[in-house]
Amino acid sequence: MTPSPQGRRAVVIEDHDDIRNLLAQTIGMRGFAVTTAATGLEGLEAVRRHGADLITLDLNLPDLDGLEVCRRVRQFSDAYLLMVTARPGEIDRLEGLELGADDYISKPFSPRELQARIEAMFRRPRARAEQADAEELRRAAEVQRSLLPAAAPSVPGYDVAGACRPSRSVGGDFFDWYTTEGGLQVSLADAMGKGMGAALIAATVRAVLRSAAGQPDMDQAFRDTCRHLEHDLAHSDSFVTLFHARLATAGGVVEYVDAGHGLGLHVRADGIDRLRPGGPPVGAVPGTRWVPGRIVLAPGDALVVVSDGLLDAYEDVDDAVRAVADVVSRHEDAQAVCTAVLDLASGDALSDDVTAVVVRRRAAP
Amino acid sequence: MQFTVEQKPRYAHITGTGRLNMVGAPRLREVVSKVVDEGSNHVVIDLGGTEFMDSSGLGALIGCLKLARQAGGDLRIANVRPQVRMVLELTSMHRVLNPYDTADAAFADD
Repeated sequence: MTPSPQGRRAVVIEDHDDIRNLLAQTIGMRGFAVTTAATGLEGLEAVRRHGADLITLDLNLPDLDGLEVCRRVRQFSDAYLLMVTARPGEIDRLEGLELGADDYISKPFSPRELQARIEAMFRRPRARAEQADAEELRRAAEVQRSLLPAAAPSVPGYDVAGACRPSRSVGGDFFDWYTTEGGLQVSLADAMGKGMGAALIAATVRAVLRSAAGQPDMDQAFRDTCRHLEHDLAHSDSFVTLFHARLATAGGVVEYVDAGHGLGLHVRADGIDRLRPGGPPVGAVPGTRWVPGRIVLAPGDALVVVSDGLLDAYEDVDDAVRAVADVVSRHEDAQAVCTAVLDLASGDALSDDVTAVVVRRRAAP
Repeated sequence: MQFTVEQKPRYAHITGTGRLNMVGAPRLREVVSKVVDEGSNHVVIDLGGTEFMDSSGLGALIGCLKLARQAGGDLRIANVRPQVRMVLELTSMHRVLNPYDTADAAFADD
């Protein structure tokens, strides 16, 4: 192991409590900051969220097959990956190594063996360029995460939450919100493509949107925003789908513009409406005038906006909308709704970023 | 993604087979750019063999549409499958890239 592993992160993915504790303790003693996860999906989320230099991965997990976790990790992380296997067959080990694992260790193992394996792995350096790329990507992912709202805004009478999961370390989805006098502004956007290029566009869109937040007329603010963006987007041959809304908290009035996003939903106790789109994505058709829309959130109603990454898991848009409505009806808490919506899209191979924002007007007491 | 180009009397007929994604998108741009450079500014992209399109693929179609219009012509799409239609409708792009049933129908009324 490198002499000073301070600042290095490890994620332990293991469903057996005792073994998980043993792994975490042993690795923690080597100076790693350790995050633990009891399921494959939690583990993937931990690696995405915190980054990792080392991952230990149990092959026998309750939700996903360990080999599947291995395959998915390799789509966005270059961490040293140690498989922990109780299976006697060598097929799994070979398959794991082919899928990008660095080494394996068989249960039962001693802390000493574990440490020796880890030290041996870290003696094999990754190619320098790869390491630099991975470091740059990790840093970009960190910056992108820091651009997302850190905490829910405090809006009396409303419960607001958002969540975003990029399919790679960085992505083209983002959401944002800010409170204004008597209200709240919310945006959700999806830049064309994936990865670093999409992330750069997303950051630009966020900044331009924010700069128009003080403009009192939403329609005008949106037009100004798009005029600025169209120029940049034309140069980069890109476009962005954008949902932007302003909520007046007192009466629950939501004014919105949907530029090619198509997945804004008004969820009521007795049904769900898809919000009317106002035109194509920003940057797709120069000179577009978007048509704004308006809904009223009654007590208990929710505005839910999701990104199209969710659709990967469904046959068509209607199926996805029904699934979201179902999730909203089963959870009171906005954050719980967001988490559950993201989970809808994690069953199959996740190929696109997924984002959800929920603004729920609290039911009258 | 595989492309074919055939010069018809009224338009250039391009077919695309496979997945129109981050990999296929730049190739489509190349194919259309070449066709337009060679003097055909009326282009039909037949998507009968395109089983999937993502946002990069849609971006390529939009880019190709701009190319054809800048050259004084137009680009139309035909024969789209359900997933491609869904992406077009979701993004409201079907108003700009209105899918025609067949390639021949695309410029029939011009």
